[in-house]
Amino acid sequence: MKSIATSVLLFVIAAALVSVVAVTLHTRGGAKAGDTTQTNVSVVGGSQTIEISAKGGFSPRDVTAKADTATTLKIKTSGTFDCSSSLTIPKLGYQTNLPPSGETVVDVPPQKAGSTLTGLCSMGMYSFTIRFE
Amino acid sequence: MTAAGIQTYTFHVKGMHCKACVLLSESELAEHPKVVSAKSSLRTRSVEIRGDFGDRPPEDIAEELSAFLSEHSLSTTVHKRQVDWDEFGVAVPIAISCAALFVLLQEIGIVNLVSGDSVTYGMAFLVGIVASLSTCMAIVGGLVLSISATFARLGDRTKPQALFHIGRIASFLVLGGVIGLLGSAFRLNSTGSFVLSLTVALFMLALGINLLDVFRWSNPLQPSMPRFVSKRALGATNLTHAFTPALVGGATFFLPCGFTQAMQFYAVSTGSLVAGALTMFFFALGTLPALALLSFTSLAVRTRTKQGVFFKTAGLLVILFAVFNVVNGLAAIGVIEPVFNW
Repeated sequence: MKSIATSVLLFVIAAALVSVVAVTLHTRGGAKAGDTTQTNVSVVGGSQTIEISAKGGFSPRDVTAKADTATTLKIKTSGTFDCSSSLTIPKLGYQTNLPPSGETVVDVPPQKAGSTLTGLCSMGMYSFTIRFE
Repeated sequence: MTAAGIQTYTFHVKGMHCKACVLLSESELAEHPKVVSAKSSLRTRSVEIRGDFGDRPPEDIAEELSAFLSEHSLSTTVHKRQVDWDEFGVAVPIAISCAALFVLLQEIGIVNLVSGDSVTYGMAFLVGIVASLSTCMAIVGGLVLSISATFARLGDRTKPQALFHIGRIASFLVLGGVIGLLGSAFRLNSTGSFVLSLTVALFMLALGINLLDVFRWSNPLQPSMPRFVSKRALGATNLTHAFTPALVGGATFFLPCGFTQAMQFYAVSTGSLVAGALTMFFFALGTLPALALLSFTSLAVRTRTKQGVFFKTAGLLVILFAVFNVVNGLAAIGVIEPVFNW
């Protein structure tokens, strides 16, 4: 029957698109996970600096940092006009609009080992997570 | 014609789902020369016709009278309310494909098309275009789709949409100027944003479910007006219809779309009425093509079968968008861990 054939065809197309999306997400995720060397965290003296860039999302998305250390978060933007410029860190009750280009400093009090700090864009769809160990 | 010749017939009306249908079917049936009166009931989805048709069997009468109806048809048997499940067979894969394309569009990194340090009006326009193709689509686009599809189903096609877009652009122009002049962020804090986006998401969820035509709900947007009033208003503009879309369009200024907020932040920093107004105006203009395309798809769908599929597809997409927004909103205020991340 025509309607069943149409449905089947449409489902096949939909399945194809979904698998393309799944593959894209998987390969993208894999690349990030394989990157074990972390260059954006540095500890000088007793204070820790974490650099994160914000443009079309946050990078890197997963960061490991030292616990029980006074920390400064440096968020870099360069021609950023998307949602990542509207940063919120719920745990700190922090919310701001980042300038389109520049560096914004956020002071983070020492965090306990095993805790995480998540920063998101105001819409919730870009985020970064810092794991303190 | 003697009074004895007039009989009463009750027919089931197929396709009756709203108050406008009641009035429409009654006025159309009354145009038949043999019909003395026609009274439709939305509750029983039937029409009671008084007329002199002689000895003709009811089935014939039903067929003849159906020709007078533009949006409905009559039958002698009263079916139980039927859900057109086979329409889902087409609507579901289309909705899934659209969702997949939407995700792909974000994965490609469409947001990275916008770069540069200063904001010119051309840049604002470009940001608007990118914003309307990115996840902002889930918030504003979802709202546009849910409203335009619902109005289209109620029979009101062009005007509510035009009003929505006009309301939105006008509000961006005016409020952009306001925040530029006052230099204060006309923005809600995170709790306010969350409450607003949650309200919008729930509203969209209701409209989306209603569009699916699965449950027997009365239409959410239509207020109950006494019949004698709505009878006169059938040809004229319904006051509620006139204002609601424009207001909703204007209210989109406050929706927590990251791009909008970034632009608002810039507008505030200009400290100027004109710069603020024009920046937001061009941004809104940039979002117009994608939003207009989305809302006017409901106009392109004409035949009854295509309409059924369209409304179900729209309903499914709207529900997906609503869920997406709720999940993101909860993540943004730290209630749950972020689910979507790209």
